[in-house]
Amino acid sequence: MFKKILFATSATEACDHAARVAFDMAQRYNAHIDVFHVLGIPTRGYSQVVVDVTTGEEVALDDNYRDLVKEEIRTYYDHQIEKTENWSIDVAIGLPHREILRIARLMKPDIIVMGGSTGASGSYAHKKIVTGSTFQRVAKAARCPVLVINRPAASFWGGFSNVVFATDFSDAAATAFDFSFKLAHTLNCEFHIFHALDITRIQMNNLHTQDYIEDQIRKASQQLRFRYVSRMENFKQYAMAVWEGIPFVEIVKYAREKHADLIVMAHNTHKTEDNDSPLGSVAEQVILRANCPVISINRSVGKK
Amino acid sequence: MSEGTLCNKIPIQTDEALKILLSDTGGKQYYQEMKSLDVDTRLLWETIGKTCKSRIHTWLKICAHCGMCADSCFLYRINDQDPKQVPAYKIQSTLGEIIRRKGKVDNAFMMMAMETAWAKCTCCNRCGLYCPHGIDVGIMMGYLRGLLYQQGFVPWELKIGAGMHRVYHAQMDVTDDDFTETFIWMAEEYEEDYPGLTVPVDKVGADIMYTVNAREVKHYPEDLAEAAILFHLAGEDWTVPSKGWEQTSLAMFAGDWAACKIQVESVYDAMERLKPKRMIGTECGHAHRATVVEGPYWAGRKDGLPPAESIHYVEWLAEALRTGKLKIDPKKRIKEPVTLQDSCNYVRNHGLKNITREIMSYIVEPGYFIDMAPNREHNYCCGGGGGFNGIGLYREQRNKALITKRDQILDTGAKLVIAPCHNCWDAIRDLEEEYSIGIRWSFLKPLLIGMVEIPEHLKPKE
Repeated sequence: MFKKILFATSATEACDHAARVAFDMAQRYNAHIDVFHVLGIPTRGYSQVVVDVTTGEEVALDDNYRDLVKEEIRTYYDHQIEKTENWSIDVAIGLPHREILRIARLMKPDIIVMGGSTGASGSYAHKKIVTGSTFQRVAKAARCPVLVINRPAASFWGGFSNVVFATDFSDAAATAFDFSFKLAHTLNCEFHIFHALDITRIQMNNLHTQDYIEDQIRKASQQLRFRYVSRMENFKQYAMAVWEGIPFVEIVKYAREKHADLIVMAHNTHKTEDNDSPLGSVAEQVILRANCPVISINRSVGKK
Repeated sequence: MSEGTLCNKIPIQTDEALKILLSDTGGKQYYQEMKSLDVDTRLLWETIGKTCKSRIHTWLKICAHCGMCADSCFLYRINDQDPKQVPAYKIQSTLGEIIRRKGKVDNAFMMMAMETAWAKCTCCNRCGLYCPHGIDVGIMMGYLRGLLYQQGFVPWELKIGAGMHRVYHAQMDVTDDDFTETFIWMAEEYEEDYPGLTVPVDKVGADIMYTVNAREVKHYPEDLAEAAILFHLAGEDWTVPSKGWEQTSLAMFAGDWAACKIQVESVYDAMERLKPKRMIGTECGHAHRATVVEGPYWAGRKDGLPPAESIHYVEWLAEALRTGKLKIDPKKRIKEPVTLQDSCNYVRNHGLKNITREIMSYIVEPGYFIDMAPNREHNYCCGGGGGFNGIGLYREQRNKALITKRDQILDTGAKLVIAPCHNCWDAIRDLEEEYSIGIRWSFLKPLLIGMVEIPEHLKPKE
């Protein structure tokens, strides 16, 4: 399931929870983990000066500096690397999202693991209301699933055993189903198929009767059976549910109730900065709020 | 004759030499060696004899030292009207003096001349506009840079930059394969949003051959994607050359005349090979100057023109909007105070002042566009032109030079600055970093992407 993990990290506290999950996955599933860090953003036109993303200082880049940063990363993750068989550390210069996508294109990982927003130093991203721009850009364009750990993953005890697949019935959700079902099947997990009926939009137009809402719930349940359950053959350890409400809230509540250690869902935003929905997509809100890792899958995942 | 191992008169010719010079972080050893670099006075005088033509001799002689150029120079104004910053003084005390002394100058003189040529002039050519005799110090500074480069007195980053052009035919270590591979990657990344989006490489006889800045490939490939998307939406028949795709020329900033020729010929070769109707370059000022304005002379072209009609990106964009190839969604026009940076290299030096304002008329809601003062051909340099942006040795002087632009922008009250030029874009970004005045800055392409209407037949099927 996971042979190659690309762990994109700021090598700071903001990525500590992500590191716990990434290294656990590498150790548990015997995967190679590449710890990837974008150390500096190029500046001053063609000059050789970069701004170190961690310190914010301008540095003149050379091989010594690269080695120094690699050594720092090695030390930072020392206790995790010690227990990991197959690992490497790479650093790059550039804009973080672009360099993560560039190396992902090159090494074709099974999954990219990222932390939450580094944002203002010292503040956790879940206290903010938007996800990091690096995550947004990577999640939009990556050709593999992107796993994000934003909050301390309270219900993640190691490994995956309880997976929630949340669907909006989009094309990307179909890809997300394929991936999450394969994961649940391969790793012998409990599999929860979930759809949140968005009543916020219904309410904006006019107030619907409870009969109407329940009718929609029934229809969505049929869709779950038709689209997903019918393709699961003899797999038995699953459950399904449709709840009405504000989608991201319902998904987070459902995952909490099921003690999920992983949520898999589609990421359908086309734009990285959308003035019409400043809070980003449903997936981004779930990432900010869920207390387990979230895998986001866009419609390009799996395409050659 | 004292020559350093890094600082010497030999241009960078190989990747190995590039790496060695690059590994001298910040040019520490390089500048140390420069202090004892000998001047080959015979070579200097011989070169002047061969290359310094009557125009420059005349300019130097007829300069009446009237001082009209002083106030035209933003560096003079920003440096407390220091007489040593008067353009006439700057050129007379360097190039003029070298000629008067018949090339017999020493190391200390050349070090002073280097600082004058790269830290006291951005070759913005504004002084030429105000001189009653039409004397253009910017042009002469460009010539002086050539003499200095030949003697090895050139800032570290520019020796590297010129070397990059010699080794890679690009301003950065981006290979031809990197270029096509990155461009195709970008098309793949956006093809879901824009079905049918492709990057035609080496198509012969296309209407447009597009050339870029290597930095886009290396660091901002979104720019390539945006260019492809806009050509795609406009229904253009376009292509990129697999060789000769780099339009910029750090060699021009460095004064490496031979590398200027090598670089521009690589682009002209691509034009000869692919025979496009037109060549369009990216949103870059000096690249346009190098490839379209000065390049034909470097390449020895008798008609003074590139092999194919060559226009700046803003000319294409204005045309596409004027003819309706690209349509702006009126709801998405810019509705906030916005200003525009005039790039010296294609506005003052190539007359495109009205074209960019025509674009503004299409993309900005009436009433929101505010010109800087002065503007058009009278506009000031961004503060980082002519190579100033990239030279670590002169960072402090460059940061001071940004103040002119900072205050011009502040006076407009605009929070968004459109800068269709890489150098200007960099300088404006840096001035925000340095002085935090709360502005945003943008090329035209990303703004256009957000406001063009997608023709029905090109919309993604949901």
